[in-house]
Amino acid sequence: MARRGVPAVALVTEEFWSQGDFVARSLGMPDLPRIRLPHPVAGTGKANMRKVAEAIAPRVLAALAPGA
Amino acid sequence: MSKLLRAPDEAAALELLHEFECTDGLPVVIPTDERVQRMVLASGMDADLVLGAMGPAQGVATVEKVAVSAVMAGCLPDYMPVVMGAVKAVLHPAFDLAEMQGTTHCTAPLIIVNGPARQDCGPIAGGFGALGPGHRANAAIGRALRLAMINIGGARPGVSDMALLGHPGKFTYCLAEDEEHSPFAPLHTARGFALEDSVVTVVGAEAPHSVLHAIDADDPEDHLRLLEVLAIGLTNLATNNALIRNGAGVVVLNPDHAQVFADAGMDRQAVVEKLCELCRHSRADIETYGRSFMSWSKGDDWFPCFYDPEQILLLTAGGNGLYSMVMPTWCAGEHNNPAVSVALEVDQFCEIPGSDSAPA
Repeated sequence: MARRGVPAVALVTEEFWSQGDFVARSLGMPDLPRIRLPHPVAGTGKANMRKVAEAIAPRVLAALAPGA
Repeated sequence: MSKLLRAPDEAAALELLHEFECTDGLPVVIPTDERVQRMVLASGMDADLVLGAMGPAQGVATVEKVAVSAVMAGCLPDYMPVVMGAVKAVLHPAFDLAEMQGTTHCTAPLIIVNGPARQDCGPIAGGFGALGPGHRANAAIGRALRLAMINIGGARPGVSDMALLGHPGKFTYCLAEDEEHSPFAPLHTARGFALEDSVVTVVGAEAPHSVLHAIDADDPEDHLRLLEVLAIGLTNLATNNALIRNGAGVVVLNPDHAQVFADAGMDRQAVVEKLCELCRHSRADIETYGRSFMSWSKGDDWFPCFYDPEQILLLTAGGNGLYSMVMPTWCAGEHNNPAVSVALEVDQFCEIPGSDSAPA
């Protein structure tokens, strides 16, 4: 998506941060926007996931619309 | 041309390769220029010929780079056609190699060899202990693919290979079908190849799971019970095949178990079709054990694990006795990580004088 010019941001949990770096470099997109999440997120319950979402939402919006 | 490392002797070179994370943790044969060129020569192809980009690092897999892996793994030049075929198979876009290398699931490429290459490029074992130690070609060919996936594909545990635990088949995972003791036409003929072709089939697979079945010749429904236990093993409710679905599955029948089906009048196609019917779970079970994956699948009251009998690879291998093996698979990736088969271009390979001895 990012290659096609579609604004994109990857949400990567702490445990997978180094893999995200590796893949981004391998694909020639080392600066692809990424946001670090705590680990785990999946399966931690709706309340926690909402908390995580609220915490990162501003950064997601900022990454998708820089300068907005 | 690959970058050359320099070391005062082979022991020091080995330590360098370990230090640079170029090994699987075990000692390797040092890929000297002479050994690598000899392996390239055996391929009959140009060293610089590009086979494809190998993910997740997107490293360029040239014949020379594959030859380096083959030398390190302890291959004889005779094995090169099978190694090349296996590399080509995993590089096929449908195989989803980059995603497979990066997944948290425990999956490794199982290499199944059919046709004359089993002898000409080996011998590659398909009988007793074919997936265990003691078979040089099986050990070295599977290891060569793994070393290519490490050094060309860039798979490093915890960084780019995120398998939570992995399994021992990630060191090497290669066998031949025992066509001579199988009552069925060989696997590769079911996948569209001619009987006389040599074919490598690669499928991302979990470790083999044993399936125990004591044959009872007095039971006219013995074959049905064998089908049922194979289905239970292959797609039990803890597997990706049950909860993610629509991926490949592997069934390795020992010759005795294969004969049970033949005696019941079933050929390969009949067995995989019946297995495909049996490998399913009720909506209630999926809701209980796989709620997170409900939206990934189709099904009303019953959820099929396979959407096509061809997704089940059935082959005959191993010694005679009570045990067959099943390998569930990952089932994810853009194409659900299907099996890929490649015919070996054996005419292009060169016989190297003295190649029946260890690499010089």
